[in-house]
Amino acid sequence: MYIEVDNANTFIATGGKPFDPSLPTVVLLHGSGTDHRGWALQARWFAFHGYSVFAPDFPAHSLSGGEALTSIESMGAWLIRALDEAKVTKVHLIGHSQGFLVALEAASLLGDRLKSVMALATASAIPVNPALVEMAQTNPTAAAEMMLQWGFGNQSQYGASAVPGMQPIGIGARIMANNPLATDLSACNAYTQGAQRAQKLASTGCPSCVILAEKDRMTPKKEGLKLAQDLNTQAQVVKEMGHMLPMEAPKESLYFMKKFIQSVEK
Amino acid sequence: MSKSSFLGADTIALHSGYQPESDHGSRAVPIYQTTSYVFDSVDEASALFNVEQGGHIYSRITNPTVAVLEQRLAALEGGAGAICTASGMSALFVSFFSLCSAGDHIVSASQIYGSTATLLKHSLKRFNIDCTFVDINDQKAVSGAIQDNTKLVFCESIGNPGLDVSNLPAIAETAHAKGIPLVVDATFATPFLNNPIEHGADVVVHSVTKWIGGHGAAVGGVVIDGGNFDWLKSGRFPTLTEPYEPFHGMNFWEEFGPAALAMRIRCESMRDIGAAMTPHNAFLLLQGLETLSLRMQQHVSNAQAMVTWLQKHDAVKWVNHPDIDANSHTKLLFPKGAGSMLTFGVKGGRDAGAAFIDALQLSSNLANVGDSRTLVLHPGSTTHSRLSEADLVSAGISADLIRVSVGIETLKDIQADFNLGLRAAAKVVANQAEV
Ligand SMILES: Cc1ncc(COP(=O)(O)O)c(C=O)c1O
Repeated sequence: MYIEVDNANTFIATGGKPFDPSLPTVVLLHGSGTDHRGWALQARWFAFHGYSVFAPDFPAHSLSGGEALTSIESMGAWLIRALDEAKVTKVHLIGHSQGFLVALEAASLLGDRLKSVMALATASAIPVNPALVEMAQTNPTAAAEMMLQWGFGNQSQYGASAVPGMQPIGIGARIMANNPLATDLSACNAYTQGAQRAQKLASTGCPSCVILAEKDRMTPKKEGLKLAQDLNTQAQVVKEMGHMLPMEAPKESLYFMKKFIQSVEK
Repeated sequence: MSKSSFLGADTIALHSGYQPESDHGSRAVPIYQTTSYVFDSVDEASALFNVEQGGHIYSRITNPTVAVLEQRLAALEGGAGAICTASGMSALFVSFFSLCSAGDHIVSASQIYGSTATLLKHSLKRFNIDCTFVDINDQKAVSGAIQDNTKLVFCESIGNPGLDVSNLPAIAETAHAKGIPLVVDATFATPFLNNPIEHGADVVVHSVTKWIGGHGAAVGGVVIDGGNFDWLKSGRFPTLTEPYEPFHGMNFWEEFGPAALAMRIRCESMRDIGAAMTPHNAFLLLQGLETLSLRMQQHVSNAQAMVTWLQKHDAVKWVNHPDIDANSHTKLLFPKGAGSMLTFGVKGGRDAGAAFIDALQLSSNLANVGDSRTLVLHPGSTTHSRLSEADLVSAGISADLIRVSVGIETLKDIQADFNLGLRAAAKVVANQAEV
C-alpha cells in the first residue's frame, strides 16, 4: 500500500494482504541500500497467518518518494510518523542490519504500542569503513558490489537460492543500485547510542530476540552477541549464512521470527 | 562480475547453483527424477503454495536439478533469475505470454528463426497479439513501429539465418525511450560470446538445445529475467504491476521487484502451460554448459578458418559471417568473434547447393544448430519453407543459401568433407554448362 508520510508517497509492503491496523503488526525494517523485498517471503507468511505486515521502503528507497533520511534517529522518528499515519497500535519491530538500529530508536518512542523487538544479522553499532562510505558516494555501483560480496555468505556466492531459479545477489545488486546507499552507510556509522538504547529497552522488560549469521562479515557474530547481552536475551546463530540473512536463509529466518512473535502474542 | 555473481564465467559454468555439501557429497549435480516432493507438514505445504517459503512442490513448476541450470544460467548472463523450459520455443512463448495480452503488440526484427517468425506472425495473432516486423538496425523504423499497445521489442543478437548482428545498445535505447523492454534471443551468441543484459537487454532467451548443450542430446530453453526494467514506471505491464488474482492478488513488481517477470512466469506459465524441462534433460544440458567456454573457442576459431577457406574456394559464390568486414557494433558486441554460424552459396544455385549437401559425409544435414558436430542445412526448403518469397527475402534468405553450424572437429577434416560437397556442386555446374 502507499501512504503519505511527510508529504511523500511512501510504499509499505503488506505481505500480499490488505493492511488491517487492528491486528498485531509485524514491522519489517530493511538494511542499508535495500528495500522491503528482502522480506518478501516472511512478509507473506505473517500476512496470511493472523498478523498485519508493515514493511516500508524508507524515504528515497525503491518505491518510496521523499528525501533520504540522514540519521538513524531521524529514521526512527519517521517510522513513528508512518506507523501513526497507518494507525498501527500493536507493534513488533523486526530489523535487519541498519533496520534494527532504526528499531532501537523507534522502540524508545513507541511507548506501550511496542510489543517486542527482534534483531537479525546486526549489532548495536555498525561502524562503516570511511573508504566504503566514500566509494558509495563516488561509485555507488562498486560500493554495492563490495557489500554484496561481503554481505552474502559462501553458499550464495556459489549461486545458491532459497527460491528455485533466482539469483539473490543479482536481485540485491539491482535494488541497491538505485537506493541512497551512501546516506544509509553514513547514518549507520554516525549512530553510537545503540548499546545504551538496547540496555534501556531491556530494563523495561520488552521481549527481544537476536538471530545472528555465523559467517556474517559486516556485523560480525561477536558484535551481535554483545547486542544480545545488552538486550538481556539469548542469541540464536544460523550456521553458514552471511549478513544478508533474511534473503539468504528466508526459511530459517522465518522459523525464528514466527517462533518468537507467536511466543510474545500467546 | 556478471551482476549476479563474483565468480568468473568459467567458474560459474562449473559451480554456480550447486555445492556438494548436500546430497551425499555427490560431486556431479544429482538428477532429481521425481514428480513431487514430500511436505514436512500441512503448514509447510501451505507456505510453499502461497510463496511464503521457497522450495519445490511439483516438477512442472520447479525441480532441484532444473533449478541448478536456471541459477547457473542466470549467474552467467548476469540476470536476477531464470526459468528453464521444455524448449527454446516454449521459452519464447512464455516470455511473450507473460508480457502481452489480447490487444497488445510486439515489434520484432524481421530476420529471426522461422518458428519464432511463425509464432509472432500467426500463432499469437490468433490471440489478438499483433506483430510488426522491422529492420532491427534501423532505429527510425523500430521507433516508428512502436505503438501505444506495444509491449516489447524482440530480436536475436545474431539473426537466424541471415547472421546480421543486432545493435543491442541502440535498440535498447530506442525501446527504453518509449518505456518498452528489449527481449533478446541470444541462442547464436551463447553466454560465452555476448551477454545481452550488459548491453541493455531486459530479457534474454536461449534455446539451450544448441551450443549450451552442445551434444545435441536434449532440447531445452531458458528465459533470464534481466532485472533492470522498471515495469511500474513503464505503465504498460498490468501482468506484473497489478494484482494477480490466482495468487491472492499477488503484485509481482511490488513483492519481487527485479525478479518480477521470472516469478510471474514461474507462478503462471509453468503452472498453466507446463512446458517444463525434465530433470534428465537439465542434467544433460548442465554437462554441456560445463565446457561451453572451451567448446566455443574451438567453434569460433574453426568457423573463422572455414570462412577464409570458403572465400578462397573456386566453387563458392559468396560467404557470410558477421566477422567478415565487421561493422563497429559487431566488433563491440563480439570481441571474441561473432559465433560459429556461417552461410554461403555455391556456384550453380539451388541444385548445386543440394548436390553439395548430399555429398557430405562428416557433416550432418539436419534441422539443428550448435551441436559440437558440423551441421548443414538448406533453410529455404526446411526451417524457413513456410515463409513466402517476400518474407524469405526480408529474412535474408536466398534460394542458394546453405547454413553451416561449424563444429569442433579437427579443421582439416571439415575442410576435406566440404571439398567432397564442393566437388559435387562443381559437377552440377559443369553439367549445367554442357546442357
Ligand atoms: C535462434 C533460435 N531461437 C529459438 C530456437 C528454438 O529452440 P528449440 O528448438 O529449443 O525450441 C531456435 C532453434 O533452432 C533458434 O535457432
